[in-house]
Amino acid sequence: MTDTTKTPATGTPAMPLLEVTNLKTWFPSARGEVKAVDGVSFSIAPGEVLGLVGESGSGKSITGFSIIGLIDEPGRIVEGSIKLEGRELVGLSGHDLRAIRGKTISMVFQDPMMTLNPVLSIGTQIRLALEAHENISAADARERAIKALAQVRITEPELKVDFFPHQFSGGMRQRVAIAIALLHRPKLIICDEPTTALDVSIQAEILAEMKELVAELGTALIWISHDLAIVSSIADRVAVMKSGHIVEIGPALGVLTRPQHDYTKALLDALPSRAKPGQLLLRGSGIADAAPPPRKAATANLPPLGSPYLVIDKAVKRFEKPPGLFKNLAIRSGLSQPVSGVQAVDGVSITLKRGEVLGLVGESGSGKSTLGRMAAGITVPTSGTIRLNGQPVMSAGRNPKKITTRIQTIFQDPFASLNGRMRIGDIVAEGPLAHKLVTRAEAPEYVRQWLAAVGLDPTFANRFPHQFSGGQRQRIAIARALAMQPDVVVCDEPVASLDVSIQAQIINLLIRLRSELDLSLIFISHDLSVVRHLCDRVAIMYRGSIVEEGEAGPIYDHPQHDYTKRLLAAVPVLPEAAE
Amino acid sequence: MFGFILQRLWQAIIVVIAMSALVFCGVYAVGNPIDVLISPDATQDIRAAVIAQYGLDLPLWQQYLAFLGRILHGDFGRSFVYNMPVSELILSRLPATLELTLAAVLFASLVGIPIGMYAGYKPHSVVSRAVMALSILGFSVPTFWFGLMLIMVFAVQCGCMPAGGRGDTVSLFGVDFSFLTLDGLSHMVLPALNLALFKFSLMIRLARAGTRELMLSDTVKFARAAGLSEFTVLSRHVLRLISIPLVTVFGLELGSTLAFAVVTETIFSWPGLGKLIIDSITSLDRPVMVAYLMLVALLFIVINLVVDLTYALLDPRLRKGRA
Repeated sequence: MTDTTKTPATGTPAMPLLEVTNLKTWFPSARGEVKAVDGVSFSIAPGEVLGLVGESGSGKSITGFSIIGLIDEPGRIVEGSIKLEGRELVGLSGHDLRAIRGKTISMVFQDPMMTLNPVLSIGTQIRLALEAHENISAADARERAIKALAQVRITEPELKVDFFPHQFSGGMRQRVAIAIALLHRPKLIICDEPTTALDVSIQAEILAEMKELVAELGTALIWISHDLAIVSSIADRVAVMKSGHIVEIGPALGVLTRPQHDYTKALLDALPSRAKPGQLLLRGSGIADAAPPPRKAATANLPPLGSPYLVIDKAVKRFEKPPGLFKNLAIRSGLSQPVSGVQAVDGVSITLKRGEVLGLVGESGSGKSTLGRMAAGITVPTSGTIRLNGQPVMSAGRNPKKITTRIQTIFQDPFASLNGRMRIGDIVAEGPLAHKLVTRAEAPEYVRQWLAAVGLDPTFANRFPHQFSGGQRQRIAIARALAMQPDVVVCDEPVASLDVSIQAQIINLLIRLRSELDLSLIFISHDLSVVRHLCDRVAIMYRGSIVEEGEAGPIYDHPQHDYTKRLLAAVPVLPEAAE
Repeated sequence: MFGFILQRLWQAIIVVIAMSALVFCGVYAVGNPIDVLISPDATQDIRAAVIAQYGLDLPLWQQYLAFLGRILHGDFGRSFVYNMPVSELILSRLPATLELTLAAVLFASLVGIPIGMYAGYKPHSVVSRAVMALSILGFSVPTFWFGLMLIMVFAVQCGCMPAGGRGDTVSLFGVDFSFLTLDGLSHMVLPALNLALFKFSLMIRLARAGTRELMLSDTVKFARAAGLSEFTVLSRHVLRLISIPLVTVFGLELGSTLAFAVVTETIFSWPGLGKLIIDSITSLDRPVMVAYLMLVALLFIVINLVVDLTYALLDPRLRKGRA
């Protein structure tokens, strides 16, 4: 055995639990074979945690699915071997593989919303998983299900066993999925981005619990993730994957503090937590992009940089379910109580100074997106006012509309926010044309200038969104927002769905354009390190209110509010670089 | 849940009242029943007497109110043609249609859904492709042609199946059913098959589309990763998840088949409701038409209510919201 493999607690010299040698999993396509996994070799000792890191498309998930024998048609393992305790898994019949799945190797997936069957109770789903490998009576299965839920720290398991997935929160659902994966005491669990869909504090809890369970049960883990910090906090060893290959593998601390391979270094350099706040990220590129076209809108009556610009005053947003006809009559005649709504934003007052970047941080459901949408004039506040430079953002009346073009928005999902049937040139030109910022004759040149400014080839203007990658689409979305020549841009999780290297490029783009155009930004994010890097001021939102607000540095270094402290403590931290 | 049922019943009553008004007015636009009822050489006095007897001389709204009052007492009037209470007439025909329709829809579902699921499970196999091609045929072939072909092949050429009629019936709770005798069953096979063809294709396609989509979902992947057998994955996970659209279509098809099995019933001279309504339309037998249309409206309301309740049974997420 190499000295990098850990010896398990039992003390016996480790024979590898799993040995993967030269694994090649290919997917035939119309354009030839897609070599998703192309010659991957590694081994795992019993009880060891291996972190498998890489960006989307690196083949890390496919490696996991290859091990458990669940490659979707028409993909197949074309070469290599996967040995589980010396037994070859490649080429096993479906029946033999199924006997291993769930029993010796099990798997936890990214999104617990999608993995659990919404129409079966938790108890039933656990029973099905139990019945897959043993004959068990319904009563015993229930007993075991309750124990399994208790093991993953679900309170009142006797009650919760009859719950359906929708009655659980995201973190609880993932715990259920982990309980199912642990049912037969497998020797290896493959976790495919198990905490990516969860809030930081839940993620921290699940991470801690997983570590404990693994130590307690002696289970080996393959932890697949794009997040280096998370991997560093759980893995004994780390393997970095790029385009189907493992470029670097070794002890976690060594790989993350003294990376040998260029790609690993690039990944680490792309992390905002590794750079000084406000600086361009090292590997982000895009520094030499063309300057944006000159602004047409008058900038004369703008207040000086640093003075209050966008003022949100006691903004409240309630989402209410309109009662039906009869319910309404009943409420009016006093027979029934009004339906209680959801108070998404509860009287928030905050001021964005001209030229500053304000970070809105919070977990899902904290109201940060709703506040951002109100600031951008997309959502009508239930009460309160939002004024830009003293002017209301929305018109008065029964159906208020946004009346300024000086605020624009960039959304999270660049796949959903661009109309797939329009050419990107038209997408970018649509708003400026409608508001007469450019004439029809000037539009093509204007669009080309903007595409160049966001680092895209100007000749792409007549392509459709589906021809671009996620990062390119987000650039298009940025060009579309900025082509309206706004002063304020509300960015709602603009980098949340992007890989780290792409994220670094977009962050660099925002930093550069912000200083070139004197933009004021509201930057909504759940990622505290990105916010730290980009924002001058930070507001922490919790249950519809701002619990703490101030300069970014002091808040991160000396948080005052309990919630802020908890939030910051939950963020997994990378070990510092060795230099 | 209780509130939901109450709300649906309330809606149902409104729909029934609206339907009764529509039906009543609509039917009045169709011809004059007196011309059918009495011979043209009857005297003016007899004519007036008959008109008065049926209340046809009263203003329309009075007739409607009288009609509503009678319905509330369960009295749909007497058929002009058969000269017997309409409720009795319909009840004598309803079981025939009911058993034929149920046989057809159940066959379409019980056979179509598994076949569709198989086609979705193995979308590229030869069998699946053949099934899909045939299902398109099932959609596009007209019912009457398929029925005639069935009769030609099985009744005329091969002679192994009867061409029409209900065959021997057994009386159960005072109504006659065919499916309890062997002869009755053999009479049912061809018309049921004919009636089922379209629904069969529909079920196959729906089940296939749902299964195909779900086989790629994380739910199925996770179930497989837990070591569940393919059969368990399909029967416990996939079937439950695709059942909601299937139940919707099942309900709609059951209703429309019950109401509009006319073509099949005519071809196979099956003495059901469809034949009755066609006969009564040609002879302007108003009470029968009105009662029939009311019955159809009621059937749809009941079926939809049952479908909605089944949703709540199938999908726990709906239970909470409507409780």
